[in-house]
Amino acid sequence: MSVHEQFADDLSLYALGALQGEERLAVEKHLKDCPDCRHELAQLQGDLALLALSASGPRPPLRSRERLMAAIAKEPRRTPVHLVKRRTWWTALEWAAAAAAVAVILLLLRQNTDLRQRVAALEANSAGQQEQLLQAKELTATLTSADAVHFTLVAGKIPPQAQGKAIYLRRTGTLVFLASNMPELPPQKTYELWLIPTSGAPIPAGLFRPDTHGSAALIKPPLPTGVEAKTFAITVEPGAGSAAPTSMPIMVGIGE
Amino acid sequence: MSRAASNVVSPDAMLVSAIRSGDEQAMAQLYERYSPIVYSVALRVLGDTGAAEDILQEVFMQLWRSPDVFDATRGSLPGWLAVVTRNRAIDSLRKRRSETDITDVVVSIEPDLVGRAESSRTLEKIRGALAGMPPQQRSALEMAFFEGLTHTEIAEKTGEPLGTIKTRIRAGLLTLRKTFNP
Repeated sequence: MSVHEQFADDLSLYALGALQGEERLAVEKHLKDCPDCRHELAQLQGDLALLALSASGPRPPLRSRERLMAAIAKEPRRTPVHLVKRRTWWTALEWAAAAAAVAVILLLLRQNTDLRQRVAALEANSAGQQEQLLQAKELTATLTSADAVHFTLVAGKIPPQAQGKAIYLRRTGTLVFLASNMPELPPQKTYELWLIPTSGAPIPAGLFRPDTHGSAALIKPPLPTGVEAKTFAITVEPGAGSAAPTSMPIMVGIGE
Repeated sequence: MSRAASNVVSPDAMLVSAIRSGDEQAMAQLYERYSPIVYSVALRVLGDTGAAEDILQEVFMQLWRSPDVFDATRGSLPGWLAVVTRNRAIDSLRKRRSETDITDVVVSIEPDLVGRAESSRTLEKIRGALAGMPPQQRSALEMAFFEGLTHTEIAEKTGEPLGTIKTRIRAGLLTLRKTFNP
């Protein structure tokens, strides 16, 4: 077997996930046509696994096992619940709670950054801040965790509709997006969220695949700061996502 | 080295197959076998026990929900877990979304190596190989793997030429490989 010498170093970097842009695309293109280099890549991943083993030692706490098995035990019993309530009131409450949670998270994260810069002086106060940070993390985890059960409350017998909610802070480029009742996707497809600016091309704002209940969340996807959003839109894209939409939006924001 | 243990426990492929049909005990067995390596890798990358526990949960839940993400015909499960955990932890550390489809990750390594890591000379051998590397080579390799730094970032940090960093990373990996396949 012979690895193509011009790709030898880049294959290691590719295995490490360190290649970007054109270099990455060039390696991926070559790998499609070169079984020898695919074999070498698998060998390099094996070498990385050896390197990973060098970290062996610490064992997870017992609570991790309990947490996992409890989550697993819950999964098969999860069933969609149809609750009949007035739609607007509960929906508004739900989103208001989410928005408030996000505001708390952003505030706490900023406070935490300040704390890190002055950690020595503020060490005495850090226990309380850490607790708040943990709460923020729990809130984030609740919003993003695949284990979280989402309920959509509707009036009467109206079937739940696909719905997305984007909460966007232009100044910091911070976005929180929550979706519910999204239709299932084919295996090779993904949903992609787009920030549609008031001028210029749509900006990718994150990929997501809904869980088995159609729920999904994107918390603080990478976005430039200061971009004024006209709206947000969702398209269905190939699995790795796209730099620009390749299909018509299936959902577009209506603004508030 | 005794291989008796492999005669009394289910091979990984059988466990994954059982997980596919919803066998919680199979999942528990797999967790017992590989949670230490998953947790150790996540903890080494993130340096935070809580964050490492989250990655541990995430990796095993993904295996439970989608056992087909791992294709037993294409590589070693423990090797795959170690590499996928590292990639997840680095994504978490750098707050970026994953660019690699984990179903594309194929890890060619003797499966027993990972299982033996804690109770045998395997770990000693790996650490010996790392200790025997030139310090700059080991440092470049560990910065790339455990800190998720790109070759460009390592070059900037160390002031070394980019080509030198690339060569060191590859040479370091080949040194590790030769430790077990001289």
